[in-house]
Amino acid sequence: MLGIALKMLFGDPVKLAGLLLGIAFSTLLMAQQGGFFIGLISRSANIVMEAQDVDVWVMDPKTETAEAPTPMRDVELYRVRGVEGVASAAPFVQATATLRTAERRSATAGFLGIDDGTLLGINPRFVVGTPEDLRRPDAIAIDQLGFARLWPGEPLKPGKVLEVNDRRAVVVAITEALPGFAVPVVVYTRLSQALAYAPGGRNRLSFVLVQTAPGADPAEVARRISSQTGLQAHTSRALQRKTIDYVIANTGIAPSFGVVIALGAVVGVLVTGLTFTLFVNDNLRQFAVLKAVGVSGWRILGMVMTQAIVVAFIGYAFGLWGASAFFDAVDRPLSDLKGFWLPWQVAALVAGATVAIVLLASVTAIRRVLALDPAVVFRS
Amino acid sequence: MTRGVIKSFGTGDTRAQVLRGVEFDAQAGEMTFLVGPSGCGKTTLISILSAMLTPDGGDVTVFGVEPVKLRGAKLTDFRMRTVGFVFQQFNLMPALDAAENAAVPLIVQGVGAGRARKQAAALLDRLGLGAHLDKYPAQLSAGQQQRVAIARALIHEPRLVVCDEPTASLDATSGRAVMEILKSIAVQKNRAVIVVTHDNRIYSFADRITFMADGRVVRTALPASLQEYEVA
Repeated sequence: MLGIALKMLFGDPVKLAGLLLGIAFSTLLMAQQGGFFIGLISRSANIVMEAQDVDVWVMDPKTETAEAPTPMRDVELYRVRGVEGVASAAPFVQATATLRTAERRSATAGFLGIDDGTLLGINPRFVVGTPEDLRRPDAIAIDQLGFARLWPGEPLKPGKVLEVNDRRAVVVAITEALPGFAVPVVVYTRLSQALAYAPGGRNRLSFVLVQTAPGADPAEVARRISSQTGLQAHTSRALQRKTIDYVIANTGIAPSFGVVIALGAVVGVLVTGLTFTLFVNDNLRQFAVLKAVGVSGWRILGMVMTQAIVVAFIGYAFGLWGASAFFDAVDRPLSDLKGFWLPWQVAALVAGATVAIVLLASVTAIRRVLALDPAVVFRS
Repeated sequence: MTRGVIKSFGTGDTRAQVLRGVEFDAQAGEMTFLVGPSGCGKTTLISILSAMLTPDGGDVTVFGVEPVKLRGAKLTDFRMRTVGFVFQQFNLMPALDAAENAAVPLIVQGVGAGRARKQAAALLDRLGLGAHLDKYPAQLSAGQQQRVAIARALIHEPRLVVCDEPTASLDATSGRAVMEILKSIAVQKNRAVIVVTHDNRIYSFADRITFMADGRVVRTALPASLQEYEVA
């Protein structure tokens, strides 16, 4: 009977196309917007995600997000170093400054000042140059998207000179660092340089980056640091989560993406529901014939559900393929949407939503089929 | 056969009694025609006989079974195994080819698709459609479609075959051809064939004609009186 159900489905290519289009569009919209949302809010935590070999981040108790830390006194670094389980601790400064080129182009950049000695917290993915190049005078490492913005069309190469707050900066390396949420350009430099490029008050320390002793549990060390110093301390993963939660709670991003995703679902339900109801209506007489020749209502319901699930599966596959193709196209080194991707969790959620859409869209059709009077076959 | 069958549709002021105590007999091995003006209750009667409608009262017996008393799986099993249908509009499934359409009742009974198709092909061949097994309904003439429908009605060897205006959508030649097939293949010793029709051109195929009017059987003409009726 399922074979007959599928032949009925594929035997009406126009309605099949309508059904697939509705589900594929809905899936595409939900998956694309879902991935976009994840990519966008994840940017706020890129600074944490990109830092290599850091187990625990220590910050001022008032800090709510990694992108806007409340400055701490320099002395906090030494207090953290004294906590049991801390193998090493290094200062880390985050600041914002404007880069200006000789060609009068400018861009606002997030300056990440890393410990002059250990270079702890640096992004390890260098396209041009090495982290060691940062030890040279006035040296900065810029991300390749930032380079392309400041020197469009030029090949990625070191030696470019910039002006930052009336100070000279030389591009010695180019990284694959992902952009932040608030600032699109990421610059790594030594701590001493960063403080000079972005002058401020007396307390400038943004974070203390901790490497835990071998065998020590980072979460336990973080708790110990908090209790002994009164500072806020989180593992890298916990700080990422805290930062993302802050963005979700304090911006309108989640509701606006939520509305678009909900619209995608509503359009999916309406288009699919309407088309599926038309499809079943057109086939009511055939279902009635089947009922007349002894097919039970439940078996017919099974046929309708098979048709719905097959349509959902194919439509979902098309929609997901479209969303994947979108993210594959935009996740390029020099794209503004670099770092955006389609997480499997989004794909799984959209799959669940698609099944729900199809089930919801099938309700009217199912009710009609269950209430179908087989005697209708005698009416001309 | 039915005894004192009554059936109404609607409620309150719109309630209409369609059957008013129908006494009807059809014999195995015979083709019984059910004729009468539109609205006299013919279709309602065959719907009740084929267990698709439940009467409000009276007795219905089909080969010793009282379909009124059947519920759930027993009811669908009765329809599946006991009754075959031929409709005015053929009601073939457009997405299935001729052999698949004819095989539907076997597939419903759980016969494998390959075996069902083979049996359907053999029957369609007997009906003169051996060269059209792979054709879809839209590729067949009206007469050919009705022959596919007849194959579907007979493939599972039902004991009761109900035909609702089987020639109404056909021209005279195709209509006669369809009736010849029904007469030669459908009518068997252990099978009753009931034909609802308005088409007096095919009355000659009947073994017995039951006339209905206003929800009652008013007369049954036996073969001996058939010619007299045709003249009248």
